[in-house]
Amino acid sequence: MALPQVMRRYAGRRRSNFIATALSIGAAGFGLTWLFLILTVLVIKGVGGLNLAVFTEMTPPPGGTGGLLNAIVGSLILTVLAVLFGTPLGILAGTYMAEYGRYAKLTMVVRFINDILLSAPSIVVGLFVYEIMVAQMGHFSAWAGAVALAMLVIPVVVRTTEDMLLLVPNTLREASSALGLPRWIVIRDVAYRAARAGMITGVLLAVARITGETAPLLFTALNNQFFSWNFNAPMSSLPVVIFQFALSPYEDWQQLAWTGALLITATVLGLSILARTLASKMVPL
Amino acid sequence: MDMALQSVPVADLAKERADRTRVLRRFRLGDSTFRIMTQCSAIAVLVLLAGVILSLVIGSLPAWKAFGFGFFTSESWNPVTEKFGAAPAIYGTLLTSFLAMLIGVPVSLGIAIFLTEICPERLRRPIGIAVELLAGIPSIIYGIWGLFVFAPWFQVHVQPLFIDGFANIPVLNQLFAGPPYGIGMLTAGLILAVMVLPFITSITREVFETVPPVLKEAAYGIGCTRWEVMRRVVIPYTRVGIIGGVMLGLGRALGETMAVTFVIGNAHRIVPSILAPGTTISATIANEFTEAVGDLYTSSLVALGLILFIITFIVLAAARLMLMRIEKKAGT
Amino acid sequence: MSLAIQTELKEKAATPAEGLVDKVTVRHLNFYYGQYRALADINVNLYLNKVTAFIGPSGCGKSTLLRIINRIYDLYPNQRADGEVLLDGTNVLSPKQDLNLLRAKVGMVFQKPTPFPMTIYDNIAFGVRLYEQLPKADLDARVEDSLRRGALWDEVKDKLDASGLSLSGGQQQRLCIARTVAIRPEVILLDEPCSALDPISTAKIEELIDVLKRDYTIAIVTHNMQQAARTSDYTAFMYLGELVEFDNTTQIFTNPRMERTQDYITGRFG
Repeated sequence: MALPQVMRRYAGRRRSNFIATALSIGAAGFGLTWLFLILTVLVIKGVGGLNLAVFTEMTPPPGGTGGLLNAIVGSLILTVLAVLFGTPLGILAGTYMAEYGRYAKLTMVVRFINDILLSAPSIVVGLFVYEIMVAQMGHFSAWAGAVALAMLVIPVVVRTTEDMLLLVPNTLREASSALGLPRWIVIRDVAYRAARAGMITGVLLAVARITGETAPLLFTALNNQFFSWNFNAPMSSLPVVIFQFALSPYEDWQQLAWTGALLITATVLGLSILARTLASKMVPL
Repeated sequence: MDMALQSVPVADLAKERADRTRVLRRFRLGDSTFRIMTQCSAIAVLVLLAGVILSLVIGSLPAWKAFGFGFFTSESWNPVTEKFGAAPAIYGTLLTSFLAMLIGVPVSLGIAIFLTEICPERLRRPIGIAVELLAGIPSIIYGIWGLFVFAPWFQVHVQPLFIDGFANIPVLNQLFAGPPYGIGMLTAGLILAVMVLPFITSITREVFETVPPVLKEAAYGIGCTRWEVMRRVVIPYTRVGIIGGVMLGLGRALGETMAVTFVIGNAHRIVPSILAPGTTISATIANEFTEAVGDLYTSSLVALGLILFIITFIVLAAARLMLMRIEKKAGT
Repeated sequence: MSLAIQTELKEKAATPAEGLVDKVTVRHLNFYYGQYRALADINVNLYLNKVTAFIGPSGCGKSTLLRIINRIYDLYPNQRADGEVLLDGTNVLSPKQDLNLLRAKVGMVFQKPTPFPMTIYDNIAFGVRLYEQLPKADLDARVEDSLRRGALWDEVKDKLDASGLSLSGGQQQRLCIARTVAIRPEVILLDEPCSALDPISTAKIEELIDVLKRDYTIAIVTHNMQQAARTSDYTAFMYLGELVEFDNTTQIFTNPRMERTQDYITGRFG
């Protein structure tokens, strides 16, 4: 190894390394700065309109004062319904994939399709539910909105259920089967119990996913200026209200839009953090 | 040791065994019931997908019948004369996603490399968690931020620079032609890039972590610098996974609605300038569906949805296949 | 260990015997994983152009010691070493030591074969290209030379374009040895190089070590005592982070001085 030649090359290599490191740090700074910028603006603008009225009054007509109560309640209703519709189906499907059908060809296909549905454009889901529910029923409704959201919940729950159940060690299953217990009792009392925290995490993640989803609601639940318990009629929701208010030329509507956005973001972040803490508590299996 | 081991008298034993048979029969019934329930649920997932495709096809039939393949190439979008064409929407979807990838992918790779190699150990977890949390922010937030904060700033401070700076360079002066609207294709592409950043970064990081430490040690052991290890060993090893992650990000960007609708400008036309307003498939549907009057109008919008679904399906399926390959590799 | 024997061993380590040159000298080395002390006051030498084997039960610290010599432990946080490791008189533990240049002089082969995701030719050429800019003919010659030194040339000369991962386990490990040799190091560290291989590949590599030592100083960690006896000139026996005994191989295996060494060699514990 001729020394001066090597050292010259080494100087060049160190330079490349330095440039690459600098670029990488620059990229990190650039990317993270934009993201934190967005959050900061959101907080500043949203907090500006944050007051008790937001939680106690209805959405106002343009130029009036009001709050977001019907939108918040509407969102809660739609979310609860979506979770009620989507979670059982998701858990059962995930159970099949991890238990009865673990090595079946069907499972591989379902897993593949499920992962695609996971990232599919949510507006297309809205179109689908419009065609099969709204068009058939002749009107928009909270039911339709809930079904659209449920279709976004299902792939998340399927994925987490399968992943969590696959983590349960087989020795546990073998031991219980050796006692003569049938499959479904083993699943219910052993596997589910062991994977419980993980599955709850999955539901939380699914809720975080549908919070703030606007597109599927645009032509299923539509919007409602007033407070409504009628599930068979259009129901307002935070994301759709934000959509409508933000695109309007009225300043007080725009302010409510920012505040609503802040509420949604806070909810999503809170749920994600909750899901993470639960997941980490569960690790010692 | 003689503990009185009571043996069950024969008569009771027979009864116990008979009870047990009855219980086992009930168990078996419960088992097959449960198994069928779960199997049907799994099949239901497939049925859902089939349902989506089927309903989109049926809903869009009137449009296909009226326009045929001309639907893909026609630039007109006139609800009054009922002439609809998908070209501007498809163009917009592809262009904004392309711009988003162009800017987003290198930055994501940079962040992923930073997090796995350069970042001081103590900061790694907090920043990593921050990135993952940011991936969950709903797209409507990006939308309103884009409309109220980014677009005005972009219009005043950046777009004029592009327009004036490239004014005399051929080709570029067509791509960056004024006036500075603030909103438009480029703006939408940039917002999408920021949206897609945390997503691609997390996947790339996970993929980087599948590299066996021994492999990296072997490269360092020869005296490679950190960049040489990344460039010549880690990235080639994880190449397929990175592409898979990028394509997943692309799939997201293609289908994105709210981040884009606010800032795309909703103009049904194709012009060379990327600073001009345009439209995407999802933005068109979001803005016009509830006001669409007439079967042909609605059906055209559904046809747009079908096209979008097929494009994203292909991209997502390819991404899945690539990620499956790297998962298999990590398992060996 | 009695103080008298301790001192004698230290003095022996300090003054090399006739004809022996110190290539690597380890003095008062301690190593910590966080708060846990994994190596305690190690003193040992690697002699020029000799093979030194490190044996001992699992967890005794032999791999840890090897990984200090090329400072590969530096990649991980919470691991630190204090003491001296002199390579030709320079302390490599000093913060001023350039790590890349150190690793150019001290090569390492790992337990698990680690071919790079490149062709066989590029696996070898990659390292060479880092340090030198050779014309194609010279580079080809160097690749062939390295593969010959790794006892792999005959098996791969017709498929240099094939992926390094397409070789068998034993071939991959010989590829890793050839790759290490290609950049002309002075010391080669082998960390249980044969434990993942079949007996025939193991035999081939042991033959290789015997040839390599003519040009390089070699340290080999092995849990296989017979391998240590076959391949090495000097042997160090380690136990629970301490160096129990260091002597020439014949002495260690026929008439060890420490009782614990005797117990380990005769298999009384493992």
